Amino acid sequence: MLRHLFTLIWNRKRANLLLISEIFFSFVVLFGVGTVLITAGRNYMAPRGFEPTQVWRLLVRAGQGQKMPRAELDDVLRQVKALPGVQTVALTSNNLPFTFNTNNSDFVYKGRKTPFANTYDADDHYAEALRLRLREGRWFAPGDDGTHHRPVVISENMRQYLFGDEPALGKIFTYNIPGKATKPEDEFQVVGVVDNVRMTTDFDEAIPSVWKRLIPYDTTHWETAAVLVRVAPGQGGMLQEKIARTVAGVTRQWSTEVRVMEDDRLHRRLYTLVPVVGLCLMGLFLIINVALGLFGVLWYNISQRRAEIGLRRAMGATGAGIGWQFLGEMMVVTTFGVLLGTLLAAQFPLLHAFDLATQPYVLAIAAAAGAVYLITALCAWQPSRLAAAIQPALALREE
Amino acid sequence: MENLLIPTTETRPQPLTGQAAPPVLRLTNIEKVYQTKTIETVALNQVNLTINRGEFVSIMGPSGCGKSTLLSLMGLLDEPTSGTIEVDGRAVQSYSDRELAGLRNLKIGFVFQSYHLINDLSVVDNVEVPLLYRKGMSGKERRQRALAALDKVGLSARTGHFPGQLSGGQRQRVAIARALAGGPEIILADEPTGNLDSVMGEEIMDLLLALNRQEGVTVVMVTHDEQQALKTERVIRFFDGSQVS
Repeated sequence: MLRHLFTLIWNRKRANLLLISEIFFSFVVLFGVGTVLITAGRNYMAPRGFEPTQVWRLLVRAGQGQKMPRAELDDVLRQVKALPGVQTVALTSNNLPFTFNTNNSDFVYKGRKTPFANTYDADDHYAEALRLRLREGRWFAPGDDGTHHRPVVISENMRQYLFGDEPALGKIFTYNIPGKATKPEDEFQVVGVVDNVRMTTDFDEAIPSVWKRLIPYDTTHWETAAVLVRVAPGQGGMLQEKIARTVAGVTRQWSTEVRVMEDDRLHRRLYTLVPVVGLCLMGLFLIINVALGLFGVLWYNISQRRAEIGLRRAMGATGAGIGWQFLGEMMVVTTFGVLLGTLLAAQFPLLHAFDLATQPYVLAIAAAAGAVYLITALCAWQPSRLAAAIQPALALREE
Repeated sequence: MENLLIPTTETRPQPLTGQAAPPVLRLTNIEKVYQTKTIETVALNQVNLTINRGEFVSIMGPSGCGKSTLLSLMGLLDEPTSGTIEVDGRAVQSYSDRELAGLRNLKIGFVFQSYHLINDLSVVDNVEVPLLYRKGMSGKERRQRALAALDKVGLSARTGHFPGQLSGGQRQRVAIARALAGGPEIILADEPTGNLDSVMGEEIMDLLLALNRQEGVTVVMVTHDEQQALKTERVIRFFDGSQVS
């Protein structure tokens, strides 16, 4: 019977072309939306690599053209850390987690180049403030003050890019600037490796990351200092006010802004979710249109084939058999559309499009195929029931 | 080549002899009423009819007298409002849809005035249709039976053609081949020559007569053509839903 259905659909290929095209485009839309959702979902489920809860972002601003002497900045950090409820204070660069500031570079080690990696400046307390998970080696310590090369900690995926499965500790790598002699301060010695981190949004994958030890010998040219503050659970607005007053107590010229990192995370999540939800709604709208179209075409198809239904009943088909036949025909038509769609979709993993791994594409193809089969089966179900209920004697007489 | 059209020993129709052949179809007190909200139409009224194995019976009557309704009931495509239908001595009113479909597939072949071929299937694929509903039959056997049936009706050279490429007479031959492919005991033909000119009509009639006489197939034919009816063994006449002779 399956061969018979394939023969029937193949011989009706012109009539079914529109249907196959609709199914093909539905598949492509579902594949696109599926890839976005699966990738975002997988990333969301992956470990974040640090703990942003109970971490605040403190920005201390000296103002344009104003100086930020080291001694006064140290005083601010010391006094903030001394406040009840504050657990750790860490000085860092302004590309803080979940903000829109980025700082990235590509690096090289013995000809092995990395993709663009996020680079952060971090002091000795940074790992403690964000609770980074150390895999190898150690975080920065005062003992690093006298080292010849700049100490760095790298993420696990950065290690893979630079050193593969080889040990990373003690190795020195540089910026990838072909044709230029490397300055000593641009030679980075690995002192530790941490778990991969996802600091951009909840839905982004872990980007290779490098933390360079922040050595602020001279901060007078700084206009803004970015500080991470880990606070005890339950701290809120009162402590934020205290922090602001503490900074003002050191120097009245400096302004402060205290933001909760969790708020930054949710804010950034919204920015990612809005276009994704928009895409899903568009996809849903398209699929509903296609489903209604399929339903209408099938309904029309059955009304046009009443005599054939009567004939098949006369030849020995049961009512249920007729219903299954129409459902089966629709599945065969769907198979043609899905095969064409899969042919297109398979190009994405083969060409490594958008730098995504193969698995999300394969899952998206499977999900899109499943969804298309489900949609067509649902659309075909009622018309098939209608076909099954047609009285054969009546259908044969109508011709 | 083995004649695949001849049914198995158990179901093979016996050749006609002097003694009365057993009934293959018996209709007792059949009444068929079509009911709408406002009108009740009696299509058949107290019909009693026996079709014996190996007979060639014509059913005649004016349009709307219930001939086609009777054929639908004989073909188990419709249920009577009252009365009983027996096939091979067994009443079928309690049969399920599946059992009736099985009976239609095994015992009955249909030939229609408008052929009812599936235009998107080739001639041989059309002839295979009834065999698709026969359990356990391989694709190879289906094809063999279809080709043998087409050979029987003289259309071996047209197996790959589509219905649209055939003349009316050829289409009706395909329809007869389709009816024959399953090796039925009864062929129910509803005005098989109604859409054909007289020459082609004669050809089809000769084919049905040959099947009846050579293969022993029981044929019940609805016709308006008195000349053709006279060629059959028995003529049953209907008027206003009742059997008049």
